[in-house]
Amino acid sequence: MNPYNLSTADLKKKANDVRKRIIVLNSESPAGGHTGADLSQVEMVTSLYFRVLDCAPDRLEDQERDIYIQSKGHAVGGLYCVLAEAGYFPTEWLPSYQHADSKLPGHPVRQKTPGVELNTGALGHGLPVAVGLAIAAKRSGSKRKIYVLTGDGELTEGSNWEAALVAAHYGLDNLIIINDKNKLQLAGYTKDIMNTDPLAEKWKAFGMQVTECEGNDVEAVVSTLENLKQEGKPNVIISNTTKGAGVSFIAGRPEWHHRVPKGDEVTHALEELSNV
Amino acid sequence: MSSSEHLASVMVEEFIRAVEQGVDLVPVVADSTSTAKIKPFVEKFPDRLVNVGIAEQVMIGTAAGLALGGKVAVTCNAAPFLISRGNEQVKVDICYNNTNVKCFGLNAGASYGPLASTHHSIDDISVMRGFGNIEIYAPGTPEQCRQIIRYALEKIGPVYIRLDGKALPESMPENYRFLPGAINVLAEGKQVVLVAMGSTLHEIVDAAARLKEEGISVGVIGVASIRPCDTSALARELAKYKSVITVEEHNVNGGLGSLVAEVMAENGLAARLQRLGFKDGEYAIAADRTSMRKHHGLDSESICSDVRQLLNRKVEATA
Repeated sequence: MNPYNLSTADLKKKANDVRKRIIVLNSESPAGGHTGADLSQVEMVTSLYFRVLDCAPDRLEDQERDIYIQSKGHAVGGLYCVLAEAGYFPTEWLPSYQHADSKLPGHPVRQKTPGVELNTGALGHGLPVAVGLAIAAKRSGSKRKIYVLTGDGELTEGSNWEAALVAAHYGLDNLIIINDKNKLQLAGYTKDIMNTDPLAEKWKAFGMQVTECEGNDVEAVVSTLENLKQEGKPNVIISNTTKGAGVSFIAGRPEWHHRVPKGDEVTHALEELSNV
Repeated sequence: MSSSEHLASVMVEEFIRAVEQGVDLVPVVADSTSTAKIKPFVEKFPDRLVNVGIAEQVMIGTAAGLALGGKVAVTCNAAPFLISRGNEQVKVDICYNNTNVKCFGLNAGASYGPLASTHHSIDDISVMRGFGNIEIYAPGTPEQCRQIIRYALEKIGPVYIRLDGKALPESMPENYRFLPGAINVLAEGKQVVLVAMGSTLHEIVDAAARLKEEGISVGVIGVASIRPCDTSALARELAKYKSVITVEEHNVNGGLGSLVAEVMAENGLAARLQRLGFKDGEYAIAADRTSMRKHHGLDSESICSDVRQLLNRKVEATA
């Protein structure tokens, strides 16, 4: 059971709250942040933690809880804002993001932050570990599901495709691979740097069941997550998003991969989000 | 001396024993079922093994996931591919995440001999020593291997066990009991002490026996527990000698020789140190073990010559 089980209307409000927190969180970081990547995944991660995941802050030792792995570890700021909103740690911790010896470092560290399931940051690590968790669950007769969120630029790491072969071979239909396809990465547009399209066809050829959705649309995200089939194949969700979604002067701009709002930008972003 | 055993066979026996005793052990291999000699395990427990194909990165990631999912995950494949191909997965998925994975580096050192340097693992100890929290063991005999594996399967946390690829004889005393960190003083001597890890233990035991026939008494120390290592005990033992010779089937940088050098320096020991292994600029030659060790000066006869030179004795012509 998800302890919140929010309606889509409430999820939209929650997503907006998370966005505001992302703006403030990044603006207070002494070491920059990945604002664009934080913002693209908001609807997906909010829907997972406030409706879909069979997990709760008081169940972090429960081997039956669903697992969410943030493989695109650089967007941990976005995850922190969701985890804080969902009560995994106090929202008072958020201003310490990336400060010296903080409980909220610049990439996920499970020994530091309640709710973080895997230390990532180097790309291409989440999916292989998720495969191991999914095999463990199958072999233990557990009904838990394993969700892993990758970037789209991240998919050029070969370890993902090693893991895809294993996931299909072992029929891991308890594994849900979500690609946050925001079409941008560090150096520019993913299609120009190393094109991964046609992505759905690639996953299908590897033996996955593939669903595409508008990843910044709560109804679409929830409907996709709640209609996945467990029929012997791993699920892939290609979540088509906009990097920097929700803030006009950040959305779709490559320079916001590793930039944080400052001064008037904070005010303007929060104003925009207050008018949603 | 009891008959020789392959350490991989000892490993598989211990896996079977562990599962029979209720350990939820899952071996993960990368097409390395024959390397791991794991057939007897699979015959007994057909549904336990996970084979990911020739894909070391996902082998390690999967093992980490299995461990997070409550299993005791053990990876079994050739040491060179574990260490090098899966380096970042060992670092991140196992060490940094502190997952309960035991990595077995099979056919380590230059066990693969003529198959040449892609198949040699002469940097594994130095790589693993660079990761702060993984325990590191290099057993030299079957009984030592057995006891280290029993310990490792009960211990919660990452462990690397370097296994030699040849059948090795037993040379531990009957009452041998493994303790993490402990060094094994197999003989006391005068002036010179020989120190080895893993399979080169047998070269120094043999060298000591040959030298004894010449009236030369040397110390013999096995270091199977690289991390943790009882460095105080090691320093106390080394302090008894004027010269120390380390012998390893490993690069001299970062392995046993480096460990001993650190212990000597940190304890202010003034003895002369000679590190035998693969030196700067060298790869192990592609050859059978006897030829390879002779070429690199790691065989017992070469070690004897080194000792004689150290003692300023006349170097006898080899027969």
